[in-house]
Amino acid sequence: MTDPLALEPILGPLERGRPAFNDDLPQDERFALFESHIAAGLKVEATDWMPDEYRTSVLRFVEMHANSELMGVLPEREWLMRAPTLRRKLALTAKVQDEVGHAQLLYRVAEDLGKSREAMFDDLLAGRTKFHNVFHYPTAGWADVGMIAWLVDAAAIVAQQALRDSSYAPYARTMRKICWEESVHIMHGRDVVVTMAIGSAAQRAAIQDALDRWWGPLMQMHGPRSPRDKDRDLHWRIKAKTSEELRQEFLTIYVPRILELGLVIPDPELRFDEVAGAWRYTEPDWEELRRVVTNHGPMSESRLAFRRLAREETRWVRESILGVPAAA
Amino acid sequence: MSQGSAPDAAPRLEAWEVFRQEKVGGSMTHAGSVMAPDAVLAAHYAREMFSRRQESIRLWVVRRADVVDLDDADLLQPPLDRSFKKPGGYVMRDKLAAARKQSGQAKPRQRSG
Amino acid sequence: MTTARRRPATELDRVLSPDTPHATALAELLLAMADDEFVIGFSDSEWTGIAPLLEEDVAMSSLAQDELGHAAALYALLAGLTGTTVDAIAYDREPAEYRHCRLLDHGRGDWAMTIARRYLYDSADVVRLEALVAGSWAPLAELVGKLIREERYHRMHAETWLERLARTRGEPRDRLLTALATLSTDAGTVFTPLAAEPALIEAGIMAAPFTTLETEWRASIEPTFAALGLPMPEPVSDPGRGRLDHGDAFRWLWGEFTMVRRADPGASW
Repeated sequence: MTDPLALEPILGPLERGRPAFNDDLPQDERFALFESHIAAGLKVEATDWMPDEYRTSVLRFVEMHANSELMGVLPEREWLMRAPTLRRKLALTAKVQDEVGHAQLLYRVAEDLGKSREAMFDDLLAGRTKFHNVFHYPTAGWADVGMIAWLVDAAAIVAQQALRDSSYAPYARTMRKICWEESVHIMHGRDVVVTMAIGSAAQRAAIQDALDRWWGPLMQMHGPRSPRDKDRDLHWRIKAKTSEELRQEFLTIYVPRILELGLVIPDPELRFDEVAGAWRYTEPDWEELRRVVTNHGPMSESRLAFRRLAREETRWVRESILGVPAAA
Repeated sequence: MSQGSAPDAAPRLEAWEVFRQEKVGGSMTHAGSVMAPDAVLAAHYAREMFSRRQESIRLWVVRRADVVDLDDADLLQPPLDRSFKKPGGYVMRDKLAAARKQSGQAKPRQRSG
Repeated sequence: MTTARRRPATELDRVLSPDTPHATALAELLLAMADDEFVIGFSDSEWTGIAPLLEEDVAMSSLAQDELGHAAALYALLAGLTGTTVDAIAYDREPAEYRHCRLLDHGRGDWAMTIARRYLYDSADVVRLEALVAGSWAPLAELVGKLIREERYHRMHAETWLERLARTRGEPRDRLLTALATLSTDAGTVFTPLAAEPALIEAGIMAAPFTTLETEWRASIEPTFAALGLPMPEPVSDPGRGRLDHGDAFRWLWGEFTMVRRADPGASW
């Protein structure tokens, strides 16, 4: 028989009951209580009171993530038709389906913070909100499809795993589901690349070429270094790791896996500094990153235009049958 | 199965909460939500979002507006002591120590049950 | 279009396993069914990322994956009979050698076209499958049993959407009527007679000839079409060629799905 004392849930007093900042207190008191709550590692739900800054920051963060999943579909979508075997076609279709599903999950989190899905699409397509740099570049061939599915997804999952403990609980829960689904994508991508690495001379050349073109954007993906104490998203524990921490983690795991395929990483400066305990690399082109995420990348405008067209084509279905309110 | 689409009423896209059961004997747990104009599509989309990989054996789908949401602290977390209703309200450590001293018996060994 | 060594259609006859009775007849049936699922799977997968609603996008993608999975399973049976591989059959033929029905030869079209096509195809496919589920060749009968169970989900989706489009006055209904008109004389091509039919029926693999099945199919959809005030599909134009003469839309698709393989023939992917 189980000792009843063992059944007493192990929770500290702060974690039980409604957080005090939800009570009708003066604004600055609520803010202070909310800050302590976050600093103590506790979580926030959609129905909790939040300072405006927190709500805005979470919404911006989640919205950009959702936008990226949605736009991330496009580089791979054109290769859905061209997958060279049935199994690869099924795998790629399932992967892209997951990305659409992730967009759904993330837009839902953002919707429950008070912004409608249509308003978010309006902002994305008008260039008022952003999506991650890697989805602004062209995919030149099947090798790119493999490289993206492997290394872009890998860099993304390094960031996403760190978000599983986000202070905003609906986002944290969504990240756990997303990470679980993403692990399959990386395996699919790696399988495509490895198969080509041991394939024909043309295939080997194609993956090296793909790596040469994607390495720059990959190194820029996590963003420029920024001091921990200045990062508001870290302060609010919306995210837990800095850009540099994520980049270092990505390099530690994936550089050996790239090299073992006989690929050459196109950065002669890249090496692990044993003394500093960190990877050294050529400084990424932050100017390129800034240009690209403000929709001046090689494919930014054409992909946004494609989305606008696709959205218009199906407007009649949404408004007549699905009950989405007609555009203002 | 084409009933329930209420074709004559103007459709309205709204949120539907989805609960899933992962394995036999498990509880229905909240999985997330889908946007849909009615129960037929809500169920279809719930299956897609939360069981397309065969990861659920049962789904419940309910219009968010129909969920009764109770979060009133006065009702759920009333302030007066209720420890007599919980194991933590029965701390006997000192009394047991006194009883053992009196009886000369050592504390019984925990047998794994 | 450059071509590597191509397997002529007639060579299928020469490499059949001598152990499988009625192998030639089965091969013709399997190729038609598999090509149908392959082509509609491609069309449906074109909605990935651009469907009317994110939730519907995920749903459509599942349907497309199911169809491709069904194609793969049917090609696998065919590959077993003919001593080749699924991918060789699926990818290494000229456009004229594909045997999918003309209903599926139209381009993706708008949402109404996709729904109309799926409804017409799925309702026909279930009649075809029911005629095969109790067949005498176990590998096919077993597979068909599984396909029927998966098809229920597809039919639920097609039916709910057909109803929604038909009952929403204005643009949705108009687009559906346009789509049905475009597909009208091709709808029955799922039941294009095959040379193999007499052998398949005699062997107990197929329960009835395609002409009978087509009549059954029309009777099965008539109540729904009547209730929704939709015109029934016309008789098939040029019925003997219902699985031949693939047009530009399919040729474009073929160009896409063979592009990578043709660029590096013989490579492993």
